[in-house]
Amino acid sequence: MNTIQKKILSFTAIVLFIMVSIWVVLTYYNQKMQGQYNQILQRYLQMNEVTASSQQLVTSLNNYLQTPDAEGKLGVEAGVKRLTDAKHRIAALRNDGNHFTLTNYLSLIDSLVDSTNRSVRFLEEKNNEESLNDFTEATRLSKYISEMTLTLLDTDLKTYDHFYRGMIRQSNELKKLGFWMLALITVILLLFTYWFSLSITRPIQKLTQAARELSRGRFDTPIEAPASDEISFLARTFDRMRININNLISEIQHKAQLESELKESKLLLKESQLRSLQSQINPHFLFNTLDTLSKKAYLEGSEETSDLLASVAGLLRYNLKRLDRPVTLYDEIRVLKEYLGIQKARFTDRLKYEFDVDEGALAASIPGLTLQPIVENAVIHAVEPLEEGGTIRFRVRDEGERVVVDIEDDGTGMPEERIRAILEERAAAQQGGGHSTGIGFGNVVRRLRLFYGREDVIEIQSGEGTGTKVTLTLPKTREVKAYD
Amino acid sequence: MRKLLIAVVAAGCLVLLGFTLSSLIRLFRDDLMVPAEIDDRRSGYRLVLITQETDTPFWDEVEKGAAEAAERYGAELAVWGSYGTNEEDFLKNMEIAIASKVDGIIVQGLDTDEFNKLATVKAAGNGIPVFTVANDVPIQKSLRRTYIGSDHRKAGEMIGKQLALDIGGSGNVVLMVSDRREDFQSKRLDGILSVLGSYPGIRPIIAAAGNTREKVVAKINDVMNQQPNVSAFVAVTANNAGAMVQEISKRATLSKFRLYSFDDSSEIKTLLREKKMNAIIEQSPGKMGELSVELMIKWLKREAFPLNYEGYYTDIRLLKADGTS
Repeated sequence: MNTIQKKILSFTAIVLFIMVSIWVVLTYYNQKMQGQYNQILQRYLQMNEVTASSQQLVTSLNNYLQTPDAEGKLGVEAGVKRLTDAKHRIAALRNDGNHFTLTNYLSLIDSLVDSTNRSVRFLEEKNNEESLNDFTEATRLSKYISEMTLTLLDTDLKTYDHFYRGMIRQSNELKKLGFWMLALITVILLLFTYWFSLSITRPIQKLTQAARELSRGRFDTPIEAPASDEISFLARTFDRMRININNLISEIQHKAQLESELKESKLLLKESQLRSLQSQINPHFLFNTLDTLSKKAYLEGSEETSDLLASVAGLLRYNLKRLDRPVTLYDEIRVLKEYLGIQKARFTDRLKYEFDVDEGALAASIPGLTLQPIVENAVIHAVEPLEEGGTIRFRVRDEGERVVVDIEDDGTGMPEERIRAILEERAAAQQGGGHSTGIGFGNVVRRLRLFYGREDVIEIQSGEGTGTKVTLTLPKTREVKAYD
Repeated sequence: MRKLLIAVVAAGCLVLLGFTLSSLIRLFRDDLMVPAEIDDRRSGYRLVLITQETDTPFWDEVEKGAAEAAERYGAELAVWGSYGTNEEDFLKNMEIAIASKVDGIIVQGLDTDEFNKLATVKAAGNGIPVFTVANDVPIQKSLRRTYIGSDHRKAGEMIGKQLALDIGGSGNVVLMVSDRREDFQSKRLDGILSVLGSYPGIRPIIAAAGNTREKVVAKINDVMNQQPNVSAFVAVTANNAGAMVQEISKRATLSKFRLYSFDDSSEIKTLLREKKMNAIIEQSPGKMGELSVELMIKWLKREAFPLNYEGYYTDIRLLKADGTS
């Protein structure tokens, strides 16, 4: 989840982190510095404490010598204790610079304490002169301690000189660092804020752009949603809407296409009917005449001629009636046989044909006058041009869901180009020139496809010199009912 | 345009980052450490060299030699000097050294009661050994452990012999001494007189003057007024040779007199090169310092025990104006 809210939160966290880390660093530094300052100050204070306490000791010793009472003695003892404490503390201040002086200093303090104690002891022994001598010495020692304190301080100043200079340098550096850091953080924050705001507004801009595209009617450009925040959710939803609209449009287009196809097939039909009508007077007249001729031939004992005439008449009748509605395979085969009978009379032995029909498949429905034009095509190409004639094999198989009809000849075969022209329903193949019914191969293919609503109903195999085989695969149930 | 802007801002950012980092590194790199406080008491001995004439070439040499020896033996040596024979400061330094309970005191001897009292009562009472260096004090009075420095009596004899040789066994010789009673001075005087005693023709005249230049000048005037026939002057005490030469050259031709000194300061050496002096005694101050520290440490370690109470003499050489010694 990478939402805008999360972005804002992390941005705030980063800024907070930077500020906190700077604060921590500076505080740490400050603490360290303060600690060091304190340490140094402590040193000076402790050294000063020694001077002060030694002077105080001499003062209280003097008081005690003036008025030797218990209180005075307590004062001296307290002074000794204070000085000894100060000495212990100052013993810890030893470093490389003051080692020698400090050792002397500590001994000096010891000497002062010794002198003081001696002075007190002599006084208690009533040896006033010695006591006074020691007091004088204590006074001198106290003075020496003061002087040596100054020496120690001086030594410390020298030892710490480097340190002091370092501290001054560092505090200057700290000031500079502050400025640099301020500038750096300002620039970084500006950059960061720019980038951050961009990451929020850019998807919105993209979405706006996409909406504009949609409003102009371009539904095919996908809407990108690179991030996965709230905006991208919007973008995805928007994209889904676009796809839906796109689908609806293509469906409508599909339907429109179907409709136009339907219209076309109706037009084709109309054309055929028109052609039929054009020759309607003639056919009726011909039909009646042929009937009469047939009867007459029969009466005159020419049965063959009579049959032939009857076949022609039947074919003619079928041609007139059955073009606009589906017929059964049985009817189609019956007409086909009549046609072949007529052609047999024409070509005699040159035309041979074989029927292999599965009786169970005869109930299948099929558009009228579809098999006859194909067989006629075979006759025209495989029998007519050849002196020795040809054989046409007609086979019907029931394959459960489908009925397969094979029409095979052993002629010279069909060129590849023509096969393609037929299957692709080009104009050249539509013409029914040379056909007895005026219906061409192309017309048959078109009607079959429209009738069954599928493209794969017809298949043509042909090789140079090996003949042509046309296979119709007819489903028993039709997918498109629009044809009736 | 936008790309250019971004590049510029990024570059600026990098530059700022660089400055900030370098500043930060500089801030934290030299991690300022308070000079470490050390806990261990060093095992080295604490020695103090106390002089009255600090910052003179002679004593600088002594200090240098002593410091080198101290360094070698791992002892700590402090040099406490006072200027211009400031006796009060000198004695104060002595007292502080004793009160500080140092391990050993090497001191330029001063033959005064105060000094002797400090050395005997305080130092000996606290068990602090006192060595004298360059200037001795009588052992009976000071209880010093030993003396390291020139054999002043021998130096006196050397000058005496040279003097007698130069003036040919007869004449008046003025011996300029300080009015301060110092052990080395009396020893030098003894040395000279013991040599001159065997020359009946030589009459030594001892002229005592104060320490200051004016007093020396006044005394020389005085002597030259009273004794017109002086063949030679000897500056027995250290610092009046310069003043002596200057004053004599004002009053008469220097070449009329023969001048001798026990001092080997650069001023005197220059005079010697200019043949204004006839002979001087050169001492070995560096050696004195070195030997005194060495002996002190050996004594403290009980390696040199007992010490030669008479003293340890360092080299002395007679430098003559003609360059021979």
